[in-house]
Amino acid sequence: MKNTKMYFGLALLAVAGTILVAADHIDAPSSKGTSADIADFYAFEPTTGSDNTVFIVDLQTSVLPDLAYGTFDENVLTEINIDLDGDLVEDKVIQAIPRDGFMYFFGPVAPSQKGLDSQVAIDAPLGSVEISEVSAKTTTTASGVKLFAGPRQDAFFFDFFQFNAVIGGNAPLGFKEASEAEDTFEGANTMSIVIEIPNTMLGTTTAKNALGLEVYKTWVTSNKKQ
Amino acid sequence: MKFSNILYACSYALALSFFTSCNNDDDNQSTMLPNANADFSGTYSQVDHMGRPGINTVLSADDATKDSQNRTLPADMAVAFQASFEARLEAYHDVYATILGADPAAVNYENNILGLDIASLTGYLAADVLEVAPNLPTTYFNPGTDADMDGRILVPDGDEVALTGRTIQDDVIDVSLILLFGGMEGDRFSGQDTDGDGMADLPRLTSDGVSITANPTTTFPYLGNPE
Repeated sequence: MKNTKMYFGLALLAVAGTILVAADHIDAPSSKGTSADIADFYAFEPTTGSDNTVFIVDLQTSVLPDLAYGTFDENVLTEINIDLDGDLVEDKVIQAIPRDGFMYFFGPVAPSQKGLDSQVAIDAPLGSVEISEVSAKTTTTASGVKLFAGPRQDAFFFDFFQFNAVIGGNAPLGFKEASEAEDTFEGANTMSIVIEIPNTMLGTTTAKNALGLEVYKTWVTSNKKQ
Repeated sequence: MKFSNILYACSYALALSFFTSCNNDDDNQSTMLPNANADFSGTYSQVDHMGRPGINTVLSADDATKDSQNRTLPADMAVAFQASFEARLEAYHDVYATILGADPAAVNYENNILGLDIASLTGYLAADVLEVAPNLPTTYFNPGTDADMDGRILVPDGDEVALTGRTIQDDVIDVSLILLFGGMEGDRFSGQDTDGDGMADLPRLTSDGVSITANPTTTFPYLGNPE
């Protein structure tokens, strides 16, 4: 059933002449389907009034059968960037990189080098966690930071095939009604890195969003060893 | 030989550190330090970037632009991509103008629920970062936070909490579609039946119709076991 859906979708894509998957899933030719492909990024307050922030980075996805998925790549450094003053330049970074079945975390720390190239902040270790298999293995550090790395459900939801029909001009009525729409990502998995960290370790922010509310401006990058 | 010995030593030390940290949970930071023998040297060069979900995918016009966006620093993104994002958004409107038999030049983006014109919206989205508030509830955009009940539930007028992060449950695609195609009230193209014949006359562009199918949890790490 699922494969049927996929093949139908791929045929549709061939007609539309383009492959577009949102949330960044498979977004660009240089990174799509590789171990460095960022599928998704979440940042949230775990419970109302909490003094922690949770970051989730999903790498790779199994949404299409031929996509790379299943292990973390030791040559890929994942970096969560945090801007505290609204200039869209990272003031602090949190890094994650796998070695021998463990995910190592560094930071939050001011990056030694801003821009497109990074070094691991080996002088600012945060902690490590064994990479999980099916059930989640987590670690909590002395400073109250929770760490996880391993395969998880891909929680993104989107009728991706209908989207391609829409932008290809092949869907005069646009998207489908809820009763007919299908979540293309149902049943998909992804390789997740999850960190829950006290806001005090991230620092105070003066950056504001479009509604004037104080926010951290964050983004995630994947970086390959040169 | 030497290398494998080091590997073995590392694995053993790591395993030990893991079990120690499980047993002691919070009270022994030294066990959390990375193994001294692990090699983290070298330079790592950026290959992918992500802030808000879907922005690069939906608004970059072609593969070259997508690759370029993934290698551009956020501070440089608005200058680099605003104009092409605006052109792309207008092109989407043209597709539906043509389908509807209208003049593409007459069907254009309309200021959205945030009151943003097309240059402002695409400039805002081009700087591809995810904002998360340390001291407010997280919502990508929740129309239910209209505290003054003024009926304009999608129109921010000072009492809404929005753009404060992204939870696993947030329907980021619908929010994005509303911002791009919803106009002032958020429902400009939502499958309306304009001639009363029981059939939709306008396309449905403000929701993809799907809800979350995964099973996130309320405890760390918040995402469900793989399927």
